[in-house]
Amino acid sequence: MAAKTEHFLKDYTYKANNWDEMYDSKAVRKQYSSVFANLQQLDTDSLLSKHNIASELFMNQGITFTVYDNDEGIERIFPFDIIPRIITGTEWQRIEQGIAQRLKALNLFLKDIYNEQQIIQDQIIPASLIASCPHYKREVFGIKVPYDIYVHISGIDLIRGSDGQFYVLEDNLRTPSGVSYMLENREVTKRIFPDMLASNNVRRISHYPVLLHEILLELASTQVSNPRVVLLTPGIYNSAYYEHSFLARQMGIDLVEGRDLVVDNHKVYMKTTKGLEQVHVIYRRLDDEYLDPLIFMKNSVLGVPGLIGAYRKGNIAIVNALGNGVADDKAVYAYVPEMIKYYLNEDPILQNVPTYQLSNPDAMHHVLKNYQNMVIKNTNQSGGYGMVMGNTISEKEWLKAKVIIENNPRNYIAQPIVQLSTVPCFINGKIAPRHVDLRPYALYGPRGIKLVPGGLTRVALKEGSLVVNSSQGGGSKDTWIVDE
Amino acid sequence: MERTQSILRVVRSHYIISLDNDSIGSTTWRPILEIFTQLSDSEIAQIEKKPDAVLKKILTESNNTNSIKTIVARARENARGVQNHITKELWEAVNSMYHLTNKPHLNQKLSGPEALEVVDQLMQQSVLYAGIADITMPRGIGWDFMKLGKYLERSMETVVITDKQCQLFEYDMQQERDLTQWRFLLMSLAGYEVYLKTYRTFKHNNDILHQMLLNEDYPHSVIFSLTRISRYLRDVIKDNESNEKLALMRTFGRLYSKVKYMDPERLGVMDSQAFFKELRNELLVFHNQLEKVFFSY
Repeated sequence: MAAKTEHFLKDYTYKANNWDEMYDSKAVRKQYSSVFANLQQLDTDSLLSKHNIASELFMNQGITFTVYDNDEGIERIFPFDIIPRIITGTEWQRIEQGIAQRLKALNLFLKDIYNEQQIIQDQIIPASLIASCPHYKREVFGIKVPYDIYVHISGIDLIRGSDGQFYVLEDNLRTPSGVSYMLENREVTKRIFPDMLASNNVRRISHYPVLLHEILLELASTQVSNPRVVLLTPGIYNSAYYEHSFLARQMGIDLVEGRDLVVDNHKVYMKTTKGLEQVHVIYRRLDDEYLDPLIFMKNSVLGVPGLIGAYRKGNIAIVNALGNGVADDKAVYAYVPEMIKYYLNEDPILQNVPTYQLSNPDAMHHVLKNYQNMVIKNTNQSGGYGMVMGNTISEKEWLKAKVIIENNPRNYIAQPIVQLSTVPCFINGKIAPRHVDLRPYALYGPRGIKLVPGGLTRVALKEGSLVVNSSQGGGSKDTWIVDE
Repeated sequence: MERTQSILRVVRSHYIISLDNDSIGSTTWRPILEIFTQLSDSEIAQIEKKPDAVLKKILTESNNTNSIKTIVARARENARGVQNHITKELWEAVNSMYHLTNKPHLNQKLSGPEALEVVDQLMQQSVLYAGIADITMPRGIGWDFMKLGKYLERSMETVVITDKQCQLFEYDMQQERDLTQWRFLLMSLAGYEVYLKTYRTFKHNNDILHQMLLNEDYPHSVIFSLTRISRYLRDVIKDNESNEKLALMRTFGRLYSKVKYMDPERLGVMDSQAFFKELRNELLVFHNQLEKVFFSY
């Protein structure tokens, strides 16, 4: 008989300077009390068995990636931690308001930057910053998009600091991924903790595909009674292909590759067994550069020749709009609070993490002097690539990185290392704290901004690690928004 | 056995949806109990919010004439009686499902987090039965009668479950519903993905009724089942010499025409309560006549 988790609290040790989401110095937080009581009823074997059931469910549903060893493909699942992360309804309300406010401002910024560029003329943002941004697309300047909406789907990365407040770490406004894991994580939790889920008054997230589908349909020309929406994927070798097929199935739309589409007379058609059928909305999961070889990368075989021409004519809606990368550039991120003030005349509800632009010599000097307390990020990369964690980098590696940074300061920003909050995780048969972030998903349609209550909680599974990216060994867990 | 599949799918859909906070009607199992049991109002009130009690009642209770356990036991008795007309593989499929429903620890599992696992296990066995029947059974009169029963049962299920969903909306089809409010019906009748792929407007009330009644490609629509019945009826009746066969064909013809030629534009505005009631009665009349012509003469 395995030991009961009566030593649960005793074994659960978290750092004093961290915000632990389950436990403060005095007791278990109210929102965790029911889950905590439930976990106390279980022994290690039961938790292990739930962990194994969850892994099997992910495996059976094909939510896997393949690793190769001796020319043999081995299917692996993305790590999932069975213990849900809990956020209260009140905390969520602030997140929801903060993200909606931020998205309104970012959307107005995109409209402005691809049209009048008033924000540059008013010297809120330096023109040089925009001009040097590789994701600013001159090719789409002046294109009118339906309902003036650019950021239909976004994933805003939040972290919780040691003061318990949520901060924005990063905006993902191009093709944010991970929403399928948010939905699947909940389905798996329904299987392994049905009673706990039912008794905790957890808000539902399962309507996300319905909301997304509605928005996609609404973006079609109003003169079309039965619009055709497709999801454009780079294909089966893309790491997010599972998500592409999952979303297409959940919405009942066609999953297409570039070769399935053709442009004729500035209209986009899909090749079907019944002949060509006009497409009205494309939910693309393909980067801007690959979308149209006539405009962007000439050698792209993933895109559709002539697509931008059709887009310019207003014959096709593309979701998200092209050129959004200028708004989620890590260097432009630092200006979002000013954007909120400029466009909305409001104070930001969610704060940014302090950010140093390394193109500024003073900031560069400060960061180089204090690099051990800094995380330095490449402004053009995501997924944790090109990131320097000052507190763990070796002297030799730092000297190498420093040369690269000094040679191209525009491409780097630095932020003080924030001790992300910790949550309980079931790891190697024990319950232990691990650092997490949160990516809520927002949908922006003609009828406003909607967030499904929850998001993808990413976990740094390695003890003490602050890197949550799945490409760097991170996992995920279900996120519950509970009403008190 | 068709009913077994239907019950299991309905129970599974409701169980999963009920774990989503603020789903319409999901906090109570009343609609499911009203469909699949003969319990009184007060008896339903006692267990409608206790998923484990409901699951036991619907899946494993011997006293419930509509429980999976009872249905499978009856199917096994039938299969035993016609063993020379069915294949060995089919008999074994029914028999193994019977033993599964009689496993001693089943009830205990239904009380805990393994409940859905039990439902899945039963569903797999039920799907296996359908596959084995299709692959091993010779086509002939036996097959025709099996199919007649199957599609008659399926059309009745679609009518009853759709009617129940409309009842939850108080038969008010004028008020446009969110798709999530129709999820129970669509998932219970394996129609969610089909719906999303087929209908692209926001007129869910009309479109969903269209799918349930008139969509010829949807295997759970009433017209799909009636079209199959028509085919198998023609096959079984051709050698029948009884006087009642013309009356049976006329009854079926009226039933078929009623659905086949209904006005799709009026689906959302018709008196759905009266329509489903009539359809149900006519299916019962047809069933009784069919039984009289072939089995009770």
